[in-house]
Parts: sequence; structure tokens; C-alpha cells
Amino acid sequence: MGSLFRSETMCLAQLFLQSGTAYECLSALGEKGLVQFRDLNQNVSSFQRKFVGEVKRCEELERILVYLVQEINRADISLPEGEASPPAPPLKQVLEMQEQLQKLEVELREVTKNKEKLRKNLLELIEYTHMLRVTKTFVKRNVEFEPTYEEFPSLENDSLLDYSCMQRLGAKLGFVSGLINQGKVEAFEKMLWRACKGYTIVSYAELDESLEDPETGEVIKWYVFLISFWGEQIGHKVKKICDCYHCHVYPYPNTAEERREIQEGLNTRIQDLYTVLHKTEDYLRQVLCKAAESVYSRVIQVKKMKAIYHMLNMCSFDVTNKCLIAEVWCPEADLQDLRRALEEGSRESGATIPSFMNIIPTKETPPTRIRTNKFTEGFQNIVDAYGVGSYREVNPALFTIITFPFLFAVMFGDFGHGFVMFLFALLLVLNENHPRLNQSQEIMRMFFNGRYILLLMGLFSVYTGLIYNDCFSKSVNLFGSKWNVSAMYSSSHTPTEHNKMVLWNDSVVRHNRVLQLDPNIPGVFRGPYPLGIDPIWNLATNRLTFLNSFKMKMSVILGIIHMTFGVILGIFNHLHFKKKFNIYLVSIPELLFILCIFGYLIFMIFYKWLVFSAETSRVAPSILIEFINMFLFPASKTNGLYTGQEHVQRVLLVVTALSVPVLFLGKPLFLLWLHNGRSCFGVNRRGYTLVRKDSEEEVSLLRNQDVEEGNTQMEDGCPEVTCEEFNFGEILMTQVIHSIEYCLGCISNTASYLRLWALSLAHAQLSDVLWAMLLRVGLRVDTTYGALLLLPVIALFVVLTIFILLIMEGLSAFLHAIRLHWVEFQNKFYVGAGTKFVPFSFSLLSSKFSKDDSVA
Amino acid sequence: MLEGAELYFNVDHGYLEGLVRGCKASLLTQQDYINLVQCETLEDLKIHLQTTDYGNFLANQTNPLTVSKIDTEMRKRLCGEFEYFRNHSLEPLSTFLTYMTCSYMIDNVILLMNGALQKKSVKEILGKCHPLGRFTEMEAVNIAETPSDLFNAILVETPLAPFFQDCMSENALDELNIELLRNKLYKSYLETFYKFCKNHGDVTAEVMCPILEFEADRRAFIITLNSFGTELSKEDRETLYPTFGKLYPEGLRLLAQAEDFDQMKSIVDHYVVYKPLFEAVGGSGGKTLEDVFYEREVQMNVLAFNRQFHYGVFYAYVKLKEQEMRNIVWIAECISQRHRTKINSYIPIL
Repeated sequence: MGSLFRSETMCLAQLFLQSGTAYECLSALGEKGLVQFRDLNQNVSSFQRKFVGEVKRCEELERILVYLVQEINRADISLPEGEASPPAPPLKQVLEMQEQLQKLEVELREVTKNKEKLRKNLLELIEYTHMLRVTKTFVKRNVEFEPTYEEFPSLENDSLLDYSCMQRLGAKLGFVSGLINQGKVEAFEKMLWRACKGYTIVSYAELDESLEDPETGEVIKWYVFLISFWGEQIGHKVKKICDCYHCHVYPYPNTAEERREIQEGLNTRIQDLYTVLHKTEDYLRQVLCKAAESVYSRVIQVKKMKAIYHMLNMCSFDVTNKCLIAEVWCPEADLQDLRRALEEGSRESGATIPSFMNIIPTKETPPTRIRTNKFTEGFQNIVDAYGVGSYREVNPALFTIITFPFLFAVMFGDFGHGFVMFLFALLLVLNENHPRLNQSQEIMRMFFNGRYILLLMGLFSVYTGLIYNDCFSKSVNLFGSKWNVSAMYSSSHTPTEHNKMVLWNDSVVRHNRVLQLDPNIPGVFRGPYPLGIDPIWNLATNRLTFLNSFKMKMSVILGIIHMTFGVILGIFNHLHFKKKFNIYLVSIPELLFILCIFGYLIFMIFYKWLVFSAETSRVAPSILIEFINMFLFPASKTNGLYTGQEHVQRVLLVVTALSVPVLFLGKPLFLLWLHNGRSCFGVNRRGYTLVRKDSEEEVSLLRNQDVEEGNTQMEDGCPEVTCEEFNFGEILMTQVIHSIEYCLGCISNTASYLRLWALSLAHAQLSDVLWAMLLRVGLRVDTTYGALLLLPVIALFVVLTIFILLIMEGLSAFLHAIRLHWVEFQNKFYVGAGTKFVPFSFSLLSSKFSKDDSVA
Repeated sequence: MLEGAELYFNVDHGYLEGLVRGCKASLLTQQDYINLVQCETLEDLKIHLQTTDYGNFLANQTNPLTVSKIDTEMRKRLCGEFEYFRNHSLEPLSTFLTYMTCSYMIDNVILLMNGALQKKSVKEILGKCHPLGRFTEMEAVNIAETPSDLFNAILVETPLAPFFQDCMSENALDELNIELLRNKLYKSYLETFYKFCKNHGDVTAEVMCPILEFEADRRAFIITLNSFGTELSKEDRETLYPTFGKLYPEGLRLLAQAEDFDQMKSIVDHYVVYKPLFEAVGGSGGKTLEDVFYEREVQMNVLAFNRQFHYGVFYAYVKLKEQEMRNIVWIAECISQRHRTKINSYIPIL
């Protein structure tokens, strides 16, 4: 748990990678994912870096692989996914791999090109046969119907006449026939008409079968057309128009005999083509199958290789150009592993000089690394969504694990609903290794990632539901109610007692619609219910008033405890960052401020609960009035909760009032005093400066050492960070703003915690409404149809419960719980100005790949 | 347009306006250009473009990379974006977008006819056509022999049809006539587009009118400049000028009489807007008139983004993107021809 309380200590390490072994070392590092690389070549644009050539080669390989995957998918061959991820390929194998892939690509391209050509050929032939078949009917029709074409006799005659005339003049009757895309028929005809001024006859018929478009590969409907025209000129035009509309034009046979011959020829050619095409396809399939075996591991290998070169591009060369220098952030706990990985890499490449590392001191803020497991990850994500914690800051995620589900449950408190949620989460948790859940999308993925949060939320809701005694808006009588109604009857008491008490008799019971149980009568109230709210309240008409008072006080108590805890966590931060003055000048005044006002409020609530009982409830003062009076010092004195209350309150107010100026001015003045060299204490001065000199010398010594080792770029990063300008005005302003925010925030944030009450009330009422409006109606219908009606009513009840009460209400309670954490809790101590530690790790990479792959 | 169009502009066009503004934000920055200029080879250029919004649009290109491949891919990208805008647009924005494509259509038609005149194959010329100006009837352009033929047979159903009123003639299409046809079409197109924007009113008119006026004036200057020393008569020349813009009508009349560049310059001296442009020609860095005009155009288009709730952003974006593409092609040409001295004379988009 210690690792979750604060982010890990980091150190900046310099890796000296011998140029021969750099690749292997990085490969070893990437497998382990230990370090985050810093970009040392920020000013160098991407194409001027050292390893651009290698990156380019990787991209080339990737392109080939994408092409392969595409072809394999198109051929419907399943891609076997390797279980283990193969390591990055050794440099010697890369060339070989590249050659192999390139050869494969060339071969594949050739075969597919051939196949496409054959297919196109085949398609053309098929189209031709279709055209011949269809146009035959055109001509036959013409021949058959020509004599009986009585409607337009003159036209027919004319054309016949024209034809003969033309023939005599040497002009030829020409035919153009072919296929055209269904959508273009109309425009085509219009254009023909306009361009040729009507000197053409177009006849067309729809083809029954749909054929593939050779260009796009779409299967669409086609029309067969036959254009007859006279003269060369128009013929050219017609042909151009055909080209323009991408018609597939085929020569038109003039005689029936010719037609038959062509058709026979076509049939045999189609047969031949089919066999050739089959063979080509078989061969292609073989090639692809072979490729499919290794393609998955190849893709991962290339990805890894590319990642390594990207990292190498971030390194800088040393003066002698013999080794690469990388600067990495590494958690101190992993340094041993880092050394081992470097050794491993060097050993693997068989280099004589091992790569080594060197820790360098730095003033820069390291990235924040918090190790999480699958349980804590979700909670950490909630915190990170607000802001990644500053380096070594107290991490609220640790406390969020409990407080978050708890605050959620306070709002969601229902035994039944909570249990359903718990079961759902449990289902997800138990099946978390199921591949379908791991790869689910969007909303389901959201639930899946938050399964442990859901689990705890469900559990806590069961608990708060038990406390509220709410199960689908009904109370459960687990231990037997501690209220006794029969004790209210006059018969159960001795006559002497009758005079003092208002008891019930038959007429009272019969004539009053609402009766009140009196806890003062002995035997009516037999002590508190063992767990939570007594179930008898479920029957009471003043249940809401009772619960509201309880829930409101509870929200305020929880809120103030939560916030005070936040302020206390701030003390841990100050202790860790060695800013003790902050504790005295910020945290303690803050604590005093909140405790003297709101801590006292809590005290009053508890005091009233403990001291006043049913008998004395009439004389109990209102907390609200008492609390207001605390600030107003009223002239007329009320009873008060206890004796001496006035003095205690005065003292508390004075403390509060005193803590405010300390909060406003304490820290800036102290810092100013520090800056002016503690002018009041001349004695301390010598010692202080001396110490500082020492440490400075040490740092500069270390730096010299680095320079000797050939490190040149240390200088540009460090010195800027060290000197911090002192600006009193700015410090004062920030502190004033912070203080105002805090003081006002105490009040508004406390009020904000009332949302706990509001939402739990809303949830209880909504589920109550659902019960009363739906299930009770269903249950009340008399027995004959009742059974039939109950089924749809229950179904509806279940659906509405799940969608409205579980999902919708759950989401709103979730959001409010998040808000309470982010705004009310975390702003008391959490800065959240860090950067996340992103290790160079292949595991991040390959998961990304599998997603890409599924898309492709 | 009704009053207060700002109120409901977003109902119909808000999405697209947001989109186009996002696209504009992805134009290359000054830093990108500085990096591009440093490239040694086209491969370097490709790698740098990958880090910008172009992404790996060249990833599937087989080696070796050529300038024309880059150009076609960039055009394809722009065309894809434009098609998206167009498919999601509602009236009157879709009409506006159609108007925008008209200029490219005119260019394509002229290009095809010139090609037919020089007996080049249609396929070859189709490759050179701008994808924004594509239309189905385009390939049949070369069957026409006269402008009226062209209109009657081919273009009557395209958005270009209305622009043909002025140029119906039975003259055979030779090179000069084609050029005349282009200018007449352009004139008619610009005038119609201008009228459309003016009638639309609102911010669209306020933004688009100055841009189109500039476009008209630029055309007038260029026609004048190109007609020096040709057989084009001065009266004919005047008929080619678009009849609106800052120069209209006085300046155009004067321009029609101009006989050389110096006379043109003296006419321009009367116009505050164009005077500095002509003065910048040939100054530092040896800028041509074209470059100066381009710079001015870029300036106006960038300014168009300062106003909201108008269609001008679409026009401006396409023009800016075109300028960017021209810049990249220029830089790429300079790199591939190893002609680095002029590499910096691209038009920066501010």
C-alpha cells in the first residue's frame, strides 16, 4: 500500500549504449517497460534525426504487411494470432526478413494482377455473351414485327428508304452495342439524342443477372443497348459518347451465322478461362496461407523495431560517436532491473564493452509513477482524470478506494439495488479473462474497466441499504421491530397509569385515521433496533420527516470528517516536502477554522443525540438556532444545550477569528523574512550559508565528472531550474486567494455535502414511486386476471428498476461522488500538477496493435 | 434573407462551419514550412508531412515518390473533404458550394477542348483535370465543334449552362476561340456568383463580395496583360472583363485602352487598393504580379475566418488549401529539381 500512498521516487539516469549494442539493449528495456526516455533532440526535426533511414525501412515493411493482411482478409483466410509476443528481431534477421517480405509482395502483386486480368477478361466475355443473347431478341423482334409495324408506317418506310439510299451512296448502317450501368441509362440516352440530333435508334433491355463492375468490384444491374446509326460522323460521336459513359462496347455481329460462331467461340474461351482462373486462385491461396502463418508475429516484430528506432532517435551521440547517450527516468526500485536489462542486451549482441548507466543529480521534477494493479487502477483513474499527482505528493486514490464507494452508497442506499449492482460487478470480475469482455467496445468497456469500483459500490450500497433499511423501497423486518403497538392499548396497563398517559381504546382506534405511538409509555419503545432504522418507520406517515433529519445531519457529519481528513493529509504533504512552516502557518489555522465552526456543529449534533431522550425532547433546543446565536451573541438568553455554553462558544469564535489573519499573512511574511536572510537572527546566518556552499560544491563536482565522461548536454537543462525568483506580491496574492477560497469553501463545501442527503432522498422516493405506481397496482388486481397481469407488470418493474434506478440514478450518484472527491476533498491538499510516467514498453504497443488489426 | 440570420444559421450550417474551421486550423504553419524547406529529398518531405494533419496519405504510394503523385494525393484529400461538405450541406449552402465547383468545371472543359485540339487522348487529359470540377458529361466535350454545339449537346444539363448565354457562336473552336470562351464563361460565372452572394445578403455578402470583386479585378488585369501583342481587339477585350468589382466601370474602360504594362500601372495608380500591389512587383525577391495577387488573395481569405455565420469560410478554406497545395508542390518541385535558390518563394499563409 505504501506505493499507492505516494508516487515512487524517480531518478534520472544516463545510459551509455555502445552503438553496436544499443538496439539489443533497447529491445531488452522495451520488453520490461522500466524507463521513460527523455527527448534529447527536441530541436531536431523528425526527418533530420539519426535513425530516419531505419524508421523508413520499418514503415516500408509495415506497408507490405498491411498489404498482406488486406489480401489475406480478402481471401477469407483466418489470421492465426500468436499467444506470446515475439521479441524484436535481431538486426541480422531484419535484412533477411525485408527481402523475404519484398519477394512475397512482388509475387503476390503479380499473381493478383494476373488474377484480376483474368477475371476482367472473363467478365468481358460473359458480358459479351449476354449482350449477344439479348440483342438477338432485338433483331428478331425487328424482323418479326417490321411488316406489322402499322403505327408508324411512314417512319419505317422512310428509314428503309434512307437505308437503301445511304447504301447506294456508300454510307453504311452501323451498329454499336454494349452494356451500360443502370444508373446512367437515362442521361446516356438524352445525350445521344442531343448530340446526334436524333439520327440514332437506341433500343435497350435490362439484363436479368447482376454483374460485377470491373472497376469498382460492385455487383450492379446492367442494361444492354443497341444503337443503330447512319454514317461515319455520327458513328464517331456515338463511340465517344459511349466512352464518356464508360459503356462496355462489343462488336456487333452482322449476320446470324457470324453471331453463332462468335457465341460458340466465346463459350469455349469462357470454359478455358474458368479453369485457368481456378488454378491461379488456388495458387494465390497457397501463397497467402503460407504468409498468414507468420504475418501476425511479423507485424509485432516490425512494430517493436520501429518503436526501438523511435527511442534511439531521442538519444544523442557522444563526442567520439562511439556510444549513444540516453537520458531516462527510472523508478529507484527498478534500477537493479535496469542494470540487468542492459547487461542482457550487451551480452546478447556479444559486444566487448558493456553498456552501462550512471545516475545524475537533477533539479527537474520527475514524472509521477504510481504502480497500480487491476483493483486499484480504476480508482487511480478517477483521481488522474482530475489531474495527475505532483511528484511524491500524497495520492488521494488510496483513500478514494473506500471513500468513493461509501459516498456513492450514501446516495444510492438501497439494499436490493446495491445487491443487483454487486452481482453484475461480480459477474464481470469473475469473467474478467473472457476475451469478449476484454475487447468490448464503448459503454461495455467503461463498465468493464470500472468493475472493481462497481463491485465496491454495490457492496457499500448493500451496507447503507441495511442502515436505511431500504430494499426496493420496502423495509425488511430482520430482527423484529422494537416498537410495540399493543402497549398503547389501555388494557395492557394498570389503571393508575391511565391518568398520566394518552392511551388508545377501541373508539380511538376506530375514529382516528392517524395514530401516534408515544415512546414515553413504558413498553412501547423497547430500545433501539440492532442495525439501522427500525422497520416500523416504513409504516409511519412522518417517516420522511424522521429520515430527513437523520440524513441531513449524517451528510454534514460525513462531509466535515471528509474535509478535515483532507486538510490533515495536507500536513503529510508539508512534512514530506520539508516545509514545516506550512504546517504552522497554513494547515493548523485551516484545521482550527474548520473545527471551531463545523467541528463544534458536529459536537452539538452528537450532544443533542446523546443527552436528550424521548421524555426531554420537548425542552431540547434547536441546533440551528443555537448555531446562529453563536455568531450573533443575542441579548435574550436561551436555555442552551449545556451550562457554560456561551463561554465555550466565545472562545471558539475568537480562535476562528484569530486563525484567519494567520492564514492570510503568515506564509507570505514568513517567506519574506526567509528571503531577507533572517535578518533578525545574525547568529544563524553563517552556519546556513556554509552548509549551502557545501552542497553546491558537491553538485558542481558531480557535474564536472559528467563533463569529463563526455556529457555535454547537461548544462542546458539544469541551471535554469535552480534559481527561483522571489516575488513577494505574487506569493501574497496566491495565499490570499487560497485563504479566501478556503474560508468561503468551508461553508459552501459543507453545504455541498448536503447532496448526499438530497440524492439519497431522491433515490428512495423514486423507488417508492415506482413501487406504489406499478407493482402495488399489479398486486392489487383481483385474483382472476391478477396472475396474467402481474407478469407484464413485473417485467416493466424490472426494466424500469434497471434503467432508471440502477443505471440513471447510479450514474448521477456516481457523478456526484466524483464531484465530492474532486472539488470538496482534493482541493484541500491535492495539487495534481504532475506528468504521468510513460514507460517505453512493448506491452503498451502490442495492445494497440491488436485493436488496429481488428479494424483492418 | 430574413433579419437575424445569426440566430438560426447554426441550425442548418453550424456543423459544417465548425468542421471547416477545424480544417482551417490544420493548415500548415510557418514552422511546418520552415521544416519543409529544409528537406533534402521528397522522402524527407513525406516524413515531415506525416507529422502534420496530412497524416500518412502517401503511405500506400510505391516508390519512387514523384511530385505529381503528391499533388494528386493532396487533391484527392481536398476533394474528399469538399465532397463531405457538399453531401452534408443544405440549401442555400449547397448552391453556394456548386458555384464554387463551377470555376473548376470551366477549367476542365477548356482543358479537355484544348487537348482535343492537340489530338491528345482523353484519358491523359482526364488525369490532369481538377477532381473538384469533375462531372459525367465531361469526357464527351471533345465531340463538340462549336460553342453552341458544346452547349446544346453536352453542357445543357450541367450547372455551367447558364453561363453560356454570351458565348453562343458558330465559330470553329480554335485556340483563340477557346481562350475567349473560357474568359466569357468566367466572366458570366463570376457575375452570377457575385449576384448570388449579393442577393443572399448578410455576412455572406459582406465577406464574399470583396473576395469576388478582387477576383474579377484580377481577371481583368490578367486578361489585359495577356492580350498585349495579340490579335485581340480592344473592344473584344472589354467584353471579356467581368462587369463588377472595384475597377468597374471607369477602370475597365481605361484598361481596355491600355497598350503596355506601364500604362496599366498608371491606371492602377488611381486605385488605393491595387497601387501597393503593383508597386511590390519586381521589388524585393523578384515577385511576379501573380505572386502579389496570390498573397493578397490569401490575406483576404484568412480574414474571412474572422466573421461567423457565413458561407465565405468554405470558399476561403478551399482557396487557402489550394494555395497550400501550390506551396507544397512548389517546394517539392524545387527539391526534386535541386533548384534550391527559389525554394523560399512560396506564399506564406498567415
